[in-house]
Amino acid sequence: MIDTGVWGDPSPSVSALERDLARVRRGRSAHAREQVATVARAAVVNIVVVARREIHALRASRTIEELAMRHPSRAIVVLGDAHPDERASSAVSLYGRVPEVDQFDQVHFEQILVRARGPADRRLLSVVVPLLVPDLPLFLWWTETPPIGTRHFEDLVALASRLVVDSADFARPERTIPALASVCFVGAQHCALTDLNWTRLTAWRELLTQFFDVPAWRALLRSVDGMRVSFAVDADGREIQPSQALLLIGWIAARLGWRPAERMAPSEAGGLLFGMIRPDGQRVRVRVRPRFDRGLEEGDVSGVRIEAFAGGTRTEFRITRLDERRYASGTVRVDGKIVSERVVPLPATDVVELLGEELTILASDRMYEEALAVLVALA
Amino acid sequence: MAVTSANPLRAGLRLARVPEPSVMVIFGGTGDLSTRKLVPALYDLARQRLLPAAFAIVGIGRAALTDSEYRAQLREAVAENSRSRPIDEEVWASFAERLLYVSVRSEEGYDDLRRRLARIDTDLGTGGDRLFYLATPPVAYAPIVRSLGRSEVVRSGTGWARIVVEKPFGRDLETARALTETLHEVFKEEEIFRIDHYLGKETVQNILVLRFANAIFEPVWSRQYVDHVQITVAEALGADERAEYYEGAGAMRDIVQNHLLQILTLVAMEPPAAFEAGAVRDEKVKVLRAMRPIRPDETAERTVRGQYTAGFIEGDPVPGYREGREVAPESRTETFVALKLFVDNWRWEGTPFYLRTGKRMPKRATEVAIQFRAVPHQVFSAEARDGLEPNTLVIRVQPEEGISLKFGAKVPVQGIRIRSVAMDFVYGASFLVDAPDAYETLILDALRGDGTLFTRKDEVEEQWRLVDPVLRAWQESDAEPPAYPAGTWGPTEADLFIGRDGRRWRQP
Repeated sequence: MIDTGVWGDPSPSVSALERDLARVRRGRSAHAREQVATVARAAVVNIVVVARREIHALRASRTIEELAMRHPSRAIVVLGDAHPDERASSAVSLYGRVPEVDQFDQVHFEQILVRARGPADRRLLSVVVPLLVPDLPLFLWWTETPPIGTRHFEDLVALASRLVVDSADFARPERTIPALASVCFVGAQHCALTDLNWTRLTAWRELLTQFFDVPAWRALLRSVDGMRVSFAVDADGREIQPSQALLLIGWIAARLGWRPAERMAPSEAGGLLFGMIRPDGQRVRVRVRPRFDRGLEEGDVSGVRIEAFAGGTRTEFRITRLDERRYASGTVRVDGKIVSERVVPLPATDVVELLGEELTILASDRMYEEALAVLVALA
Repeated sequence: MAVTSANPLRAGLRLARVPEPSVMVIFGGTGDLSTRKLVPALYDLARQRLLPAAFAIVGIGRAALTDSEYRAQLREAVAENSRSRPIDEEVWASFAERLLYVSVRSEEGYDDLRRRLARIDTDLGTGGDRLFYLATPPVAYAPIVRSLGRSEVVRSGTGWARIVVEKPFGRDLETARALTETLHEVFKEEEIFRIDHYLGKETVQNILVLRFANAIFEPVWSRQYVDHVQITVAEALGADERAEYYEGAGAMRDIVQNHLLQILTLVAMEPPAAFEAGAVRDEKVKVLRAMRPIRPDETAERTVRGQYTAGFIEGDPVPGYREGREVAPESRTETFVALKLFVDNWRWEGTPFYLRTGKRMPKRATEVAIQFRAVPHQVFSAEARDGLEPNTLVIRVQPEEGISLKFGAKVPVQGIRIRSVAMDFVYGASFLVDAPDAYETLILDALRGDGTLFTRKDEVEEQWRLVDPVLRAWQESDAEPPAYPAGTWGPTEADLFIGRDGRRWRQP
């Protein structure tokens, strides 16, 4: 059953739906005019969300609604059956609504639910295309592992300017992501690939980079001989998702020209231990360490340590998340003595911020592709 | 240790605007500008992780304060003036550790400063890179610069040195030139950053993006299509708090010479070859050079001044300018200026630019309005186009940053009835609601050595060259500036002034 309180009223056809939405818009404009305000139907992007579970669809819908003031969009949520029965009859129904996102009623944001029951693989595109607002880019947000090779996935990717996924949800990210990249880059229509799990690392990368803006410390990048990345696991240590930590290592390795010395080997309690080779032929010990951290999402990076040995001195660069998930401390130690310390805000990123940031960028990220290449070589 | 090449981790980072490790030295570190604007902006930068890991701020003042007393003073100021409230204790604690104070009362003070900076360089690895910021009253600029030069504080090893100079930059062409000469004794021109905080505002920069990143506006951006341009900087505030300065300056020096002329040049300039300091400022200077001077005998025809008397702002009674403390009872300082300017070049020949600014206007508003010509031939009856106004493109800088375009549309009834409607782009609604403060943008630019949004020597001189004759004519005239009640859009003379050309002022 579809909750019409959440998804709006059903409409028998695309044209009926558009008529209903236009009527709501007119009503809002009339109301706004009484308040001497101007109303804009400001849509800067089409967002198509594909979900198989209603819980995912709801979460995505809420996220987009929160972003509506910054990135007003037409959102089309496609909710399919988790287990389509090939023999069942298939049906597609539409629900539309115009949520109030702005107390001044100046921005309109529209959301349409496309509920597909049964095998809808071949017919989905014919419903989505007429619902798109013309001349706007399409962001395709796939809430689970995308079904590479299916008709509806490839049809939608062909329309999209950007495919948004979250590799934290993938069972084998190091395999799925390269496969996705190859789907995205076929044909003349180039679709950029965004991994929200990579976006989570932006602040970490920035903080690590800032250490090495100091010329004396930058020189030590050539002498790094150890790197350790910690990531959060649940209290039982059962949910182990090292993909974010690995992406961070892949990025450093790609930037500093390290290559794998061997394949990754498991270490204590779900961790990994392996070696990489620096451009000068020296070995770098790399450790990925699972740790229980209250308040962190499983898989989130919780600390990074980079060690360099040069001129008989050991220098250690460390970023550690502090309590309450809102700050991190950055410290530099020379032979165990702290020479620099600062605290910076590092709020835990939620999906609203991650997606909001991605919506401001249309190009694909070469650094991500390079980091990925290292992971593929390590796997 | 030898300086290595660029940081390899920086490639492809989205927050690529973080400056190099450096120290910022603020003269007037306990003053109004520092406490209201500079330090809160620096704190906000720290909060956004936009300051380098190795960074320190050294405040300079005359008072004998310890570092911790200075920090305590600024904590209050940041808590009150930061863009993000309440103050984040953890960020503040870490930020305050790098906030230092040096008391400078005599030449020996500069020796203390030099030693302190050397120690910071060793402790933090800031490499002798220094940004000096003159946030003192203008009379102190020259002595500070000379002392900096004498005491060898400015340069250390391979580090860079830059200096930011606040407005007012001189009070006429002669004093502006003298100040530049003093600065040149110690700093090279490309190391001097004359700040005009209007250029740090998002929408002001957006004028350039609107014009040069879009193909549809440029073809109509000329005398063929533009009837006239109106630029307004209206303030609801009076001169009260800054009366001592204002009494000697007036609206012409306070707003017109810098902010209004800056906006005008951005609107009128030719496309630069690239968005970089040299090319952009070259084009801006060309506009200033092409401005038709206002001859003394044209003063009455092309300028209007005014001074506010008692009136009401948002329902509250406010006193007149002359009733203010530190204002002479027979003061002739202008609190309102309107000008008619012409840019005598191929693009703008004959197109008037009306500029106006005033204190105690009904509201705070800054906007640029490009009013286009009417269609060459009227197809619709006079009755049908009764509600039609000329096409206007309005770039609003404050309070709500945005762009709106007015055009005629058919009212949905039988027959033709035309009314003007506005297509509004609200900056905050399409992008991040939270636009950076102008000072944040400009401090980052200065730390990164990007002078695009700062005023060059020749620009300042051209600005004064235009303004000086008007000031002189007003001074030599016996007439008093016309009065206008606080809370109105200026003296009636201003309406008559634009009305003579068959036009009227907009209501922003």
